[in-house]
Amino acid sequence: METMVAVAENLGVYLESLEALGRRVAGREPAWLRQRRERGMQRFSELGVPTTRDEEWKYTSLSELKRNDFRLAAPASRVISAGEIKSMGFNEIEGCRLVFVNGRFMSGLSSLEAGSKEVDAGSLRDFLESDSAEAHLGRYADLENHALAALNTAFIEDGAFVRIPDRVAVEKPIHLVFVTVAEQANQVSHPRTLIVAGRDSQATVIETYIGMGEEAYWTNAVTEVVTAENAHIQHYKLQQEHVAALHTGFTYARQARDSRFASNSLSVGGRLVRSDTHVRLEDAGCECVLNGLYAVTGHQHIDHHTIIDHAMPHCNSHQLYRGILDGHSTGVFNGKVIVRQDAQKTDAIQSNKNLLLSRNADINTKPQLEIEANDVRCTHGATVGQIDEEAMFYLQSRGINRDDARSLLTYAFAADIIESLNVEPLRKPLEQFLLSWVEQAEVSA
Amino acid sequence: MLEILNLSVTADKKDILKGINLSVQKGEVHAIMGPNGSGKSTLAQVLAGSDTYEVSSGEVTYEGEDLLELTPEERAQKGVFLAFQYPVEIPGVSNLYFLRTALNTIRKARGEEELDAMDFLTLAKDRMAALQMDDSMMQRAVNAGFSGGEKKRNEIFQMAILEPKLAILDETDSGLDIDALKLVSEGINKLRSPERAIIVVTHYQRLLNYIVPDYVHVLADGRIVKSGDKSLALELEEKGYGWIEEVAAEGELVRS
Repeated sequence: METMVAVAENLGVYLESLEALGRRVAGREPAWLRQRRERGMQRFSELGVPTTRDEEWKYTSLSELKRNDFRLAAPASRVISAGEIKSMGFNEIEGCRLVFVNGRFMSGLSSLEAGSKEVDAGSLRDFLESDSAEAHLGRYADLENHALAALNTAFIEDGAFVRIPDRVAVEKPIHLVFVTVAEQANQVSHPRTLIVAGRDSQATVIETYIGMGEEAYWTNAVTEVVTAENAHIQHYKLQQEHVAALHTGFTYARQARDSRFASNSLSVGGRLVRSDTHVRLEDAGCECVLNGLYAVTGHQHIDHHTIIDHAMPHCNSHQLYRGILDGHSTGVFNGKVIVRQDAQKTDAIQSNKNLLLSRNADINTKPQLEIEANDVRCTHGATVGQIDEEAMFYLQSRGINRDDARSLLTYAFAADIIESLNVEPLRKPLEQFLLSWVEQAEVSA
Repeated sequence: MLEILNLSVTADKKDILKGINLSVQKGEVHAIMGPNGSGKSTLAQVLAGSDTYEVSSGEVTYEGEDLLELTPEERAQKGVFLAFQYPVEIPGVSNLYFLRTALNTIRKARGEEELDAMDFLTLAKDRMAALQMDDSMMQRAVNAGFSGGEKKRNEIFQMAILEPKLAILDETDSGLDIDALKLVSEGINKLRSPERAIIVVTHYQRLLNYIVPDYVHVLADGRIVKSGDKSLALELEEKGYGWIEEVAAEGELVRS
C-alpha cells in the first residue's frame, strides 16, 4: 500500500514534466513517437520504481527516487565551452562528437564531421522523419520489464542518432558526450541513443556520461543498438558521473546474422549506479563480446546486470567483467547467459572477477547460465579476492615500495580489460585515468 | 657485511630456526646445504623480509644496520637480493615494466639517476643475451606461464640487472637441466666480486661444481650443525644427509 502511494506521489512530478514536454513538442512530434512515449508512461506507471523485493533489484535500492522528486533538468544557465568539454577527459578522441548538456543537443559544442559523409549522426530531433527512427526507436528497450527504460521512453525529446549505411566502414569513432550541469538539486535527464548499423557496416561508438556541479542529480539513459547482417559495432560506455550522482543506464542490442557487437564498459563515477546490457543474438553466426571494468571507492554502489540471449545456433559470446572495490563501496554483478533450444553449437564464456582493496568493501556476484540446447559449450565463473600477499612480497623484495606494489597489482588486475580496448586514442587516456584512480583510491584508503 | 647472531624463527608457533650463527664477509661465497625441511628456505626468506615468519630471538646486522628493522623494499634498496625458490607469477605486469620500476626505485634510493626506457632496454638486452634468454621474455608478464627453468633464469636475470651487494639464492639450481645450470652458474659467477657476498642455498652438491664456495654450512633441524670448506660438500655428497642427521642428533645429546 505504501509503495502504491509513493509511486502515485512521484508520478505527479513526472506527469507535470511530461505535460510541459508535450507542450514543447506539440505540432512537431510525429504521431508514432507520441504513441511510444505514451506507452512508456503507461508502463512506468504500471510497474513503478523497482524495489528490493524485485529479484533483479535485490541489492540496489532506488528508495531515494521515491523520497525525492526528480524534476526534468532545465537547460544549463551557464555557458559551457568546447574547451571545458575537451578537458573533462578523452580529448584525444578524434572524429565526430555529439555533445548533450542536460539532455539537450548542443550544436555549438558538437562536431559532426564523421570522416564519412555517408554517416547520419546528430540530434535525434533532426532524424525523427527518417524511416530508421520510426522503424527502430523504442523497439528493443524492454518496456515490459524495465520501468526506468519505460520512463526514459516517455521522455524522448532529444537524443543521439547514429546510422551507418550498408557497406560503410567508419574509421574514426563517433563520440557521444552526455553532460549534466547540476545547478539545481534533484534534476533528472533521460539520455536516449539509437544506433542503426547497416549491412556489412562497421563503426565504433563511444558514450561518455559526465557531470559538473555539486548537486545530486539522476541520469537515466537508454541506448538501443541494432545491427543488420554482418555489421561490426564496437560500443563503449564510459560512466564518469559526478560522485553525488545516480546513474541508471540500459543498453539493448539486437544482432542479425553474422554480426558482431562488442561492448566495453568502464564505470567509475556516480554514487548509485545501475547499468544493464541486454544482447539478443537473433540469427546464426553472431559474435558478442561484453567487457566491463568497474572501479569504485568511498560509499559508491555499483550494479551491473547483463543478459546475453542466444536464440540461434553457431553464435559466440564472450563476457569478461572485472571489478575493483575500495573504501566502503559495494558492488553487484549479475550476468545471465540464456541458450535457447535452437541455439545449438553456442560457445559462451562468462567471467566476473573482483578485487577487494578494503575490508569494508563488498560485492555480490552471480553468474547465471540457462541452457535449453544440448550441444553447446558454456563456461562461467566468478571470483572475489584480495591483493595477493605473495606477489606483494615479491615486488617489495625487488625494491618496489609497498604502495607502488599495491598500485601495480591493482592495475595489473584490470590490464587485460584495458588491453582489449582496441581504440588507440582511448587506451592511453584510460590507462592514465586508471593509474591515477588507483593512486587516489590508495590515498583515501 | 652480514652477521647473524643466535637467530631463532617460528612459523605458526612452530620453531623452524633454532639459533643460527653465521658471519659473511664481502667477497665471500657461502653455501648452505641441508635436507628438506631443515630451515634453509626459511633463513633465506627471513633475510629478505618475509612476514610469514616471526623472529623470536637473535639479531641480524647488515652493513652495520639492524636488518630485521627494515622493510623488504628497504633491504632491496640497500642491496639485498633474494632469488626465490618459487618465483611468483604476476599476470598483467610485463617483465620490462616491473624490472625497470624496480631498478629505478633502487637507483633513486641510492641517489643515482633513473634510467630512461632506451638505456634500460640496452642494459636488459645485454644481460639477457648472457643468459641466452629470448628478448620476448621482456614483454611477457612476470613469470606468468614460464616454465620452471625460465622462472629460475628470470630470477638470475633480475639479479644481473639489480646488481645487489648481498645475493641470496634459494635453490636456484632445483629443477634445472645441466645446460641451464651452467648458464645460471655463469650468470652468478659473473657477479662474484670483492665487493659482493653470495649465499647459495641448495639441496644438491651439483651446483657447487660450478659455483665454488668459500664456505659450506650444513643446516639440519634449524641449526648449523657443521661448517667447513668446499670439501664438506663433497663429503656430504658421498655420505648423504643421513650422516648429518646423526651428527645433529649427537649435538642434541651433547647439549642436553
